[in-house]
Amino acid sequence: MIFTMALLLPWVTGVVLVALDGRRRDVGWLAVAVLAATLALLAVLTAQVLRDGSQEIVTGGWPAGVGIVLHADVLGVVFAVLSVLVLLAAATHEVLAGVRIRAFPGLVLLLAGGLTGIFLTGDVFNFYVFFELAMTASYALTTYGGKRRQLRAALVFTAVNLLGSFIFLLSVAGTYRVTGTLAMHDVAERMPAVDPNAAILVAAGFFIAFSVKLGLFPFHFWLPTVYTGSRPAVAAILSGAVANIGAYGLLRFGPGMFPAQLRLAAAALVLLGAASLVYGAVLAVARGDVGETLAYSAIGQVGYVLVAIGVGGTVGLTAAVLYSAVNALNKTLLFLAVGIRGALVAGAFAVGALSVAGVPPAAGFVGKLELFRAGIVVGSPALVVLLVVGSALSLVYMFQVYQRRFWRADPSAQDPASSLPLRLLTATVALIVLAAGLWPEPLLAVSDRAAEALLAGVPTA
Amino acid sequence: MILAFALAAAVLFGCGAYMLLKRDLLRVVGGIMLISQSAMVTIIGSSQSRGRAPIGVQPGDVVSDPLPQALALTALVIGLATVALLLALVHRVIVVFRTAEVDELAAGEAEHEAALEAQRQADREEAS
Repeated sequence: MIFTMALLLPWVTGVVLVALDGRRRDVGWLAVAVLAATLALLAVLTAQVLRDGSQEIVTGGWPAGVGIVLHADVLGVVFAVLSVLVLLAAATHEVLAGVRIRAFPGLVLLLAGGLTGIFLTGDVFNFYVFFELAMTASYALTTYGGKRRQLRAALVFTAVNLLGSFIFLLSVAGTYRVTGTLAMHDVAERMPAVDPNAAILVAAGFFIAFSVKLGLFPFHFWLPTVYTGSRPAVAAILSGAVANIGAYGLLRFGPGMFPAQLRLAAAALVLLGAASLVYGAVLAVARGDVGETLAYSAIGQVGYVLVAIGVGGTVGLTAAVLYSAVNALNKTLLFLAVGIRGALVAGAFAVGALSVAGVPPAAGFVGKLELFRAGIVVGSPALVVLLVVGSALSLVYMFQVYQRRFWRADPSAQDPASSLPLRLLTATVALIVLAAGLWPEPLLAVSDRAAEALLAGVPTA
Repeated sequence: MILAFALAAAVLFGCGAYMLLKRDLLRVVGGIMLISQSAMVTIIGSSQSRGRAPIGVQPGDVVSDPLPQALALTALVIGLATVALLLALVHRVIVVFRTAEVDELAAGEAEHEAALEAQRQADREEAS
């Protein structure tokens, strides 16, 4: 019941709100309230899943195997809660600052519906449908602002990601051809019997599609233009919520459905992740612009996630889930903080910067710690050194931004301080990041459970 | 038959990729549309069985696999919506920039670089 509600609520209200004038305060607050309600429903669902194990619904009352399966396990609900939390923060931020186009609240709700669907579906094609729902909403969101930069960003974002979506669709067709099913659980069961050449081709297609979404090196080329061009709230949504599709997809399809292919490519994944990490960090140091630094930092940070997935095992996957969550929170905080000025904001930004660099007590420290553990488990000193270098570079570029943004008396940047509620909101997000670092037990335990559920090889319990 | 489908999908994808690399924005959209059609052909080609249409089936009839057709139908509708959105976006870009050439859109990038250089200059002055 709660499961169905969590899927339907944002979707139905989103459809209604798109038709209303979102610039009106009450419509904006209604969207925020719906997001909060969705978050509450998902929190209850998470509690149930943690207590009683995964839940499953077959749509339309069909027998399993005929109808489309919706499936909530620990991994799915963690990502759903995280994404809706990010959307809630970004939407509240924009409503407080004043929404400028009428469709904004509706689009954010549709995006929330699409994302929840992606994380809670148990069917590969259904995944594609929700994926397109979420992506279409985010294409439209990228144009938010309507200036030249936003339009250019939206054009690049839409063209590149549509290509990624069709590559995903080609792989879905391939999956059906070689396994004769689209339910994730059955695909995972039948995959070992499939011709290895065909299987690796299909797996590579999925990998490319998700890497484009995530902005991994060398599929990152669209990312700096888009993150720099779009408005802060939209950049927060793209990097904190939409990028989760990529991380979740890699986790769900990699260890969940193509474990043999993943093992085959593990070394390549670690190398790609390391390349992404170094490339992102070095370019972030080299670029001066705040938005661009954060964009290249995003490329570097997803490198950590890929390294963790490449390492694999319970330790690697726990690190991957944990780091995705921490990274999404960091990016949301940073993008929201660079958009505003005044007291509290510099402090909030500093918390985010420390978290990206992995300095305690911010949440990033816990993520980095798990990654180091993964590096030690594979017994690779080179990997650990690389992780340290990456963290050191992130400390350098984050404080470069901090210095430019908050210390220099730039005459062109003498904006008046932003309103108090806006600053309080950013401070709240900063407190969440701090709290996750000071009391990491729940997050660690949940990540661990998610990794175990994936490794059990049964997407359906 | 599979070979024909595979060739059709390959040719469509190839043409789409070629057009995607053109400078004109409308050709880029055309390229994406061709690639989406290549995905549709692949879905239909992935059917598990071939035969008559699965309507009013008697036991023992050989029917074609209905699932890929349902998938293709869904994917076509989604593809139509996304391409319509992309066309609307291109229209907006042409109205605002008064050009459909990718090169001229990149002129904004150069201004951005110049602004960055000014900021680096300020850094150096601060350091010395």
